[in-house]
Amino acid sequence: MKFFGLLSVIIVGFLLLSATKDFPNWGDEDSPANSGPVSSFYIEKTEEKTKVPNMVTAVLADYRGYDTMFETVVIFIAGIGIIAVLRTYGSNESIPKNQVGDEGAGLLARMTCSLILPFIQLFALYVVAHGHHSPGGGFQGGVMLGASYILLALAYGLARAKSCFSEKRTLVFAALGIFIYVGWGVLCLVMGSEFLNYSALDSILPGGVEMARSHSMLAVEIGVALTVTAIMFSMFSNLSTKGRLDKGL
Amino acid sequence: MTDHLPILLLLSPLFGALVCVLFGKGNSKNAWIVSMISLGISSILSVFLLLKVLSIKAGDIRYRMGGWDPSSGYEVGIELRIDILAALIVLAVTLVGFINTIYSKTRVPAEVGEKGPFFYALIQLLIVGLCGIIMTNDAFNLYVLIEITSLTSYALIAMGNRRAALSSFNYVIMGTIGASFYLLGVGYLYIKTGTLNIDDIHTYLENENLWTSQSIIVAFILIMLGVWTKMALFPLHGWLPNAYSYAPSMTGTFMAPLMTKVMVYVMIRVMLWLFGADFVYSEDSVWSELIVWMSVVAIVAGSFLALARNDIKKMLTYLIIAEVGYMVGGAWLNSLTGQAGAFYHILSDAAMTFCLFIAASIVIIRTGESRLNAFDGLFRKMPLTMIGFTIGGLSMIGLPPTCGFFSKWYLISGGIESGHWEFVVALLFSSLINAVIFFKIFERAYFGKIKGIKEEVSVADIDMIPAEGIKSVPASMLIPLFISALSVLILGIMNKNLFSWISNALKMING
Repeated sequence: MKFFGLLSVIIVGFLLLSATKDFPNWGDEDSPANSGPVSSFYIEKTEEKTKVPNMVTAVLADYRGYDTMFETVVIFIAGIGIIAVLRTYGSNESIPKNQVGDEGAGLLARMTCSLILPFIQLFALYVVAHGHHSPGGGFQGGVMLGASYILLALAYGLARAKSCFSEKRTLVFAALGIFIYVGWGVLCLVMGSEFLNYSALDSILPGGVEMARSHSMLAVEIGVALTVTAIMFSMFSNLSTKGRLDKGL
Repeated sequence: MTDHLPILLLLSPLFGALVCVLFGKGNSKNAWIVSMISLGISSILSVFLLLKVLSIKAGDIRYRMGGWDPSSGYEVGIELRIDILAALIVLAVTLVGFINTIYSKTRVPAEVGEKGPFFYALIQLLIVGLCGIIMTNDAFNLYVLIEITSLTSYALIAMGNRRAALSSFNYVIMGTIGASFYLLGVGYLYIKTGTLNIDDIHTYLENENLWTSQSIIVAFILIMLGVWTKMALFPLHGWLPNAYSYAPSMTGTFMAPLMTKVMVYVMIRVMLWLFGADFVYSEDSVWSELIVWMSVVAIVAGSFLALARNDIKKMLTYLIIAEVGYMVGGAWLNSLTGQAGAFYHILSDAAMTFCLFIAASIVIIRTGESRLNAFDGLFRKMPLTMIGFTIGGLSMIGLPPTCGFFSKWYLISGGIESGHWEFVVALLFSSLINAVIFFKIFERAYFGKIKGIKEEVSVADIDMIPAEGIKSVPASMLIPLFISALSVLILGIMNKNLFSWISNALKMING
């Protein structure tokens, strides 16, 4: 078995390497991926058409926004899938009152957490809100926000974290995030244009067609961030308690 | 409004899934109603989509996401593209999804318990993914949607009995490898062409004459390997039998007819649209002959393995592996009849596998026995179920007027046209083996002695499903069986129309 594994690895490795001899040079500015009609359109026209200085966000949330919508759905599915497979609805769902606060880390860790948590969340919100102007966006900001709740669960115990982010609420937030993204696309449909064609929204958003695209990117990034936050925390709480959601790590 | 049909039929199950998740645990009944409505809407819309595509002669519907117009001839956004072939398969997916939801009404509370709403959410997202795969015209968007279908199917399979988790894990490994191969191939194509739109990649390759480039050849091989892993072509089939037979019955009945077939469609799309017939069937490439032989091996091996199984669902899953061999072989024959036959077989195989899986699930649930002796004497006790099973079985063997006969007929004539006699022999051989398998079952069902129902089910395979007694098959399970059996016959009777639609669409791309 090991021999066949080695053999297939060697064959695939040879295939991959043999293809590189035809590749354009490293960093070649005339290569199709760098100077082709599509990427030169992105590079030259993004600022003019969408008023968004961060081209990566424009590609992600506007030109290929349909892809990103489904990437968000992938995250959503991962969370729902973990619940569907792992979650057990036992009798021990409610924890006795005297156990609340029993878990979690020591005093020092708790103090550190309570000091840095607000800043983590603030920074996460900045990353979400500023994603179309600087590096960042919904996925990154959402992961940071989700991580802040995980940190809360690690320091103060899962029960404390669940008191601000209960299971019901995670599901609502996860679905709401997708709903914002898809709903924004449907709004464009209702305004008589293609799905996710943000320029149709210039009559209800301030600042003309280009700014409508820019504002819409912010809106869908917020949707992405909501889903990612909720799913991150839901995954952590389900995996760390083997789906019982009682006592964390 | 009809311009937006393709996206609307995707959005309906997507919203349905969100609503189902909000129901949270336990509320299976409401989730069932929601998914009936959302999939019903989407089936109706896909009927309209098919009518619309048929009404525009010789063309396809294109839909630009975000309304981005192409820049100097190349698409900058993502484009959907629906021709007759795509519309037919979308209709098959949404209809199977809708009918399977009827079937799942009593099975969801019995098999997944309080997690019913999550089951419905996942299966609706799976339908979104499959329809998206069929309609998209973007190589990377295709990958994202493959991810959606894979993730949902891993979760849906793992919700099954105790063995399902491990078989789902095997599927995770194999599926991830397959998807990675596909992604690598698309990456190589992007490096060489700078675009992701399937038609634009083809135009660029044509204009720059990159057909002999090593990277393009490797990209083609990688994409093919990835798609074959996903569709379980013979040596890469290891994950399929366990995954489909240990999954919850309503997952099995949905995934067995559709997942592998949609990947066959992706393969045909990549072959004929992305790379083009001249490259794929070129004289100096070695693969054309090789792959027909591979499919011959798959057909023969799948049939033999099915013959050797004593477990109903395992046997059916090995038959699927043989059928995948039919379609891959047909697509690689380099004859229009063969391609059209492969395409027709996607539809007819979906119908007959659906029919057989529902019938087999009913038998297993009712008798509490997953081995072939479950069928003993069933014609007397469950005549309606067995009639459905018989129609599916006859179609598998390939007897007229079922659709299995006609699609096999076109495949065989494609084999003769292109001189691939080994493929013709393999098809006839596999029909013989199918006849042996199914007539063995029919014999049991007619002449076998009926046993008492076991009180205690000891077979580990079905430890989640207690026997429910042979009487009283609920209408929610019989109606889907009837519709699917009927569709096997309808697809057979409509063979002339279907074949002319399919071959007209294929003629346009073959030039």
